[in-house]
Order: sequence, then structure tokens, then C-alpha cells
Amino acid sequence: MKLKIDKTLAASVALHVLVLGYGLVSFSTKAYEMTPEESVAVDVISPDQLAKVMAGMKTGKKENPKPLVDKVAEAKPIDDAVGKVTEKAPVITETAPPPQPKAEEKPVEKKPDPPKVAEKPKEEPKPEKKPDPPKVDPIAEAIKKEEKKPPPKPVAQPAAKPPEQKQKIVERHFDQTQIAALLDKRDATRQAATGATLNSNAALGTSKGTAADNSATWGSMFKQQVERCWKKPYGGIESQKPEAAFAIRLKRDGTLEGMPVPEGTPATPYLRVYQESALRAIIECQPYKLPAAFFEEWKYFAPVFTEQKT
Amino acid sequence: MLFRPNRRQIITGMASAGLLMSGQRAFGQAPKRIIVPEGEFTPLPIAIPNFAAGTPADTEVGAGVTQVITNNLKRSGLFAPIDQAAYIEKVINIDAAPNFQSWKSINAQALVTGRITRQGDGRLKAEFRLWDVNTGQQLTGQQYFTSPEYWRRIAHIISDQIYERLTGEKGYFDSRVVFVDESGSKERRVKRLALMDQDGANVKYLTRGADLVLTPRFSPSTQEITYMEFGQGDPRVYLFNIETGQREIVGNFPGMSFSPRFSPDGQRVIMSLQQGGNSNLFVMDLRSKSTTRLTDTPAIDTSPSYSPDGARICFESDRGGKPQIYVMGATGGGAQRISFGEGSYSTPVWSPRGDYIAFTKQGGGQFAIGIMKPDGSGERILTSGFHNEGPTFAPNGRVLMFFREPGGNSGPSLFTVDISGRNELRVPTPGFASDPAWSPLLS
Repeated sequence: MKLKIDKTLAASVALHVLVLGYGLVSFSTKAYEMTPEESVAVDVISPDQLAKVMAGMKTGKKENPKPLVDKVAEAKPIDDAVGKVTEKAPVITETAPPPQPKAEEKPVEKKPDPPKVAEKPKEEPKPEKKPDPPKVDPIAEAIKKEEKKPPPKPVAQPAAKPPEQKQKIVERHFDQTQIAALLDKRDATRQAATGATLNSNAALGTSKGTAADNSATWGSMFKQQVERCWKKPYGGIESQKPEAAFAIRLKRDGTLEGMPVPEGTPATPYLRVYQESALRAIIECQPYKLPAAFFEEWKYFAPVFTEQKT
Repeated sequence: MLFRPNRRQIITGMASAGLLMSGQRAFGQAPKRIIVPEGEFTPLPIAIPNFAAGTPADTEVGAGVTQVITNNLKRSGLFAPIDQAAYIEKVINIDAAPNFQSWKSINAQALVTGRITRQGDGRLKAEFRLWDVNTGQQLTGQQYFTSPEYWRRIAHIISDQIYERLTGEKGYFDSRVVFVDESGSKERRVKRLALMDQDGANVKYLTRGADLVLTPRFSPSTQEITYMEFGQGDPRVYLFNIETGQREIVGNFPGMSFSPRFSPDGQRVIMSLQQGGNSNLFVMDLRSKSTTRLTDTPAIDTSPSYSPDGARICFESDRGGKPQIYVMGATGGGAQRISFGEGSYSTPVWSPRGDYIAFTKQGGGQFAIGIMKPDGSGERILTSGFHNEGPTFAPNGRVLMFFREPGGNSGPSLFTVDISGRNELRVPTPGFASDPAWSPLLS
């Protein structure tokens, strides 16, 4: 018996083989090269954290994580203080020369302990109001009175002030960042910061910022490349949560500068196997194609192989 | 304007500079961490060129050893041996470091080199080295001496070494399986006790098939098995020495005794004894022959299996209506039901690792093989079908063997499956086969 072959069938088979064969070759597992993407570093913070970040002062200590709190939240006299400070302003323009020395002192006082600024006018205007109600500025008044006639009250005041001023001189220091404040003749508008608990230490706020970080871009490119070589060992059906970290140095051409340095020694045989498999992957997959623009960032980094979901 | 820092400022300045400098050393060097998450498990590509022959007569054995190792690793599902045809280097010198570049180019991550040499006294010397191709390091290396007929065992031992070094788990290749060999027509089935290597080689028949045999079980010593045999009258539990061929009845009880199993120390046999319509669990000390009753219920308690530490027993009981799995202390007492799924559960067996209990589950017209933790949680069905039964664990607790009957006029055959449910494979046997029991590691 002779086997008859349908020509169209043969042609169809041949064409299919051709197409599939071409597909096998051309769609073979060639590494995709990811194009670098623009990335924006985003940190997710809670509203509470945001409030802390906002409550910072430039001159605060870096170590202090708490925001400055002058008063417990219920404090109410803020409105009064503001009113008095603004009342004072027109008086200064009336008697222009005298306030000069005062302006210099004020900012220095103001920074370390602002509430005093608000308190001072409170105390001083009261004695002054009796002899001369329209004029509120205490120092201008004091100077004028000293020139004319020395009454008992002004004598008492200078006696009380000098010790205070001496203390301040000891603490006074030059701070370039405060030049603007020195020149600023406006009155302080900062109100007492309120919070749940008192904290007299000024803080910088919570710093969360990082330097320019493009690791999202080159990191994902590295991940994609190294994963192709990683033959993850079989860890059984129990989740073992292994982790293997290395410190690696890359050259500009993307090859390893030296052997990757494993972080720590594995505790179990499986962790050792896991670490070794990751090491093999790092070595096998070089050279890495990473964006040259970020070389400074990826020349030294720590890949962490893990099964832990973040 | 002149900047004149006071003393305190100078001190704080110096202190903060020192802090910065020390910080630079401690933390400033910390590199950016890039998380490479959860890759898929991939079998490890491994190259196993033929073991070199020390003398020309050893070429065949060398190729045989290589073949057995390749087959073992491949069947485990954790390795992907590379076809020898792809090798760039064909002749390998075991005494020198391999040319790793040529192995890298065929994507091998591990390489096994070895040599078989016949010694002057007729013994075989087998040497092997396991290499990490990417780092160029030798991961392990051993040499063994054996008489030539045991070359397969050498191959299994080397396979175990490779498996253990590359997976971090003990191997299971150097082990045997006892099973019931079935031949003849369905009506006149001849059932013989048979023994073979775990890969199906070296089949040996232990009984002649005159009597029906069932449920053979290995002793931890691997030289003895216990099984149930229907002779004239009631079935009885026997003890059989593989080396000497001697056999004896375990105890002399009225009525049936069945489903025997050794304790982990090999000193006792636990089994079921029939009493009226019920059966209860008894344990017999093999030395003193004294018997202790463990359960006393008006129900059928059977298929007991010890935990690897010998402290607990899991067994099957229908005291709650349908057959379910229970766990109790090795000396008896209150039993706790651990199986609560639909259907009925039977033939529980405790893993040598202690982490799982395997079982046969019947329901919805299907027989399934599954595992659960000893507290009954984490139930997982590995395979399901017309008839699957009798799971037994590999020595490392990672693989299960069971038998499957497709139905019709066909007969049962043996299968292995990973406890994750992956990599189900048929085990080659000469005829039909059922009731497998895996031995502990031989060495």
C-alpha cells in the first residue's frame, strides 16, 4: 500500500514548521533592556508625621525629634499678645531714634525664647499707662523721662533691667542665618506653638528627606537582569522567609569590581544554599546594563535577595 | 563683622564634627539596598559528564554511575541535568580544576566530575567533586570504595551528597522500597512481597505468592519488615528478615491482627487486633513479647503510626461515625481528632521530619492523597482520582510514594509526588504494584 500525501497538507505543515521555528529563534529569551524611567522619590507619611515635619525651627537641634511646644493646647492669651504688639508699632514711628538699640536686642531674645517678647510688653505698659496713657512704648518713655526728670519708677526699671541684659550678652552669638532677622524691624508675629505636652527645646522638625535617589530606576533594571540568572532553590512548602544580602561594587562597564561580599553567615543549610544561589546569580548575570548617568549611585550598593514581601 | 566663636561653640562644633566623622565610618558607607524579591523556583541546571574511567574496563561502570545520578537528580524535580550532547568539553580530568568558562557558556550552574577506578583487590574506587561553576569553588568532594556489584549504591550515595549540598536538605536516593507485586488476572491475582531501590532498580521478590500479603512496613534498621499475611484462616502480622529470609508471627492472638508498624526505635510493633466487631490498638515489645492495649473503644481503631520521636501516635478510627484521623500519646489515653474535612480519612502516616501526617481521603467518589500538620491544620490535597491510596514518606519527608489504580481491568502502580503536589512521577515496576513502604536511608 502506498501512502498518499496531500500536497496542500505538506505545504501547510512545512509553513507551520517554518513559522514556529522562526518564532522559537526570534522570540528566544533575550534579555529585555529596560529604558531608564524618570522617577520621583515618594515617601508616604501620616498626617501626624507631616505636622511634626512642619513644626520645625531652623535653629533647632537635629537630634530632637519632638516639635517645639511652648504651651499646652488650651492656652488662650495669644490674641491679646498680638494685639499689644501691633498697638506698639505706631508709637515707634513717632519717636524714631530711641528704638534703634532695642531692635537689635529683640531678635536675639526672640529666638531662644519667643514668649518673653510677648510677655514683656504686657508687664511694662501697665506702669507707664498711669503717667502717660497715649504713649505706650516703655523704653522711649523711659529715655525721655531720664532726660527731663528722674522719677522713682524709671530708676527702679534700669536697676531691674541691667542684670537681665548681662545674662543675654553672655548668650549672644553671631548667627549668619539671623542677619535677616536682625535687619527685620517688623515685630514678631510668631505665636506660641501649642501641642499636647510642653517642650521648650526648639527642634528642626523631623527630617525625612533623602539625597537625590534614582534607585527606583536603576534598581529595577538591576533586579530585572539579575532575576534572569537566579535559580532560586526550592524551599519547601513552609514559608521560610530567607534573606541574603550582599555588598557589591560595579565598574562603569557593569561588571563586578570584585567578589560580592555576603552580609552575615547563614544560620541553616537552606539559608546557605539560598545565599549561594543568589551569589551565583549576581556573578552569572554581569555585566549589568545600568544607566551611566547614575553610576555614582550604583557603583556600590547592596542587593537583597528575599522572599519577604515588603 | 568679625565672627568670634566662644568656647562652648568651639566645643560643640568639634563634637559634632567628630560625630559626623564617626558616622561616616559607621553608617556613611552603608550602601543602598535593592530588594530582589521572590523569584520563581527554578530547577538548578547541572552538568554531569560521564565519570572518567581509571582503567579502560571501567568505562561502562562510569557511564552507569553517571546515568543513575542524572536520573536521580532529574526525578527529584529540583535539578535540570543538561544533555551531555551540549557539552563543549567531553573529556574531564578530575584532578584539575575544570575550565569553568566552557560550562558557563552552556548555562550550567553546578558541575559534577568523577572517576571510577578498579583497584588491585577487585574493589571499585569512586571519586567525585561538585563544583560551583560561577564562583569556581569546589562545594564538596568524596571518594568511596565498594565491591563492583554495589556500583548503583555508590551512585545513589553520591546523588544524596549532591542533593544535600545544593538544596540544604538530606537526600533520599540511597533507600529502598518494599511493595506488593501483583501479577495475573484480576480474578486470580498473585501478590508477592517485593523489594527494590527507590528508583525501581534491583527488584527482589521476598515471598512466593502462595499467600496473600498486605501492608508491608520497614523497620528503622532496614533489615526487617513487618507485614500482614492471609494464611490459612485469619490474617496475621509477620516479621521478616530481608537478609536471612526468616519470618515469624508477631504475637499469638485469637482473631485477626493487622496494619502493623514499627516504633521509631525498632523495638516495638504497634498494630490492630480484632475483638468482636471492633478493633483496638495494641503495642508489642519485640524483646519481651509483652503486649499493651492502647485503646478500648466500641469502634474500629486501626492504621497506627508513630511520630518520629516516638511520643505520639496517629491512627484512624470510626468512633465519631465516619473514619477520621486521631492523635494520642504513645501510651494511650485521650485521643484528639485532627481531620475535619468532608469525607473520610484513612491510612495516616507520620513524616520522618515530624512536620506532616499524610493520609488517604475518600469522598465524592474520589480517593485523594493529602497531608496535614499534626494539629490538623494546613490540609493539602496532593493528588486525587479514581483510586489513590497508601502514602509513605521518603526518608527526608519531602516526597511521598503511593499507589494508584486507574480502574477497569488494569492494575495498580506506584507514583511519587513532592509534598508540595509538584512533580508527580510513575515509579517503574516489573508488574502491577501496590502498598509501597519507603525504607529509611541505608547509610
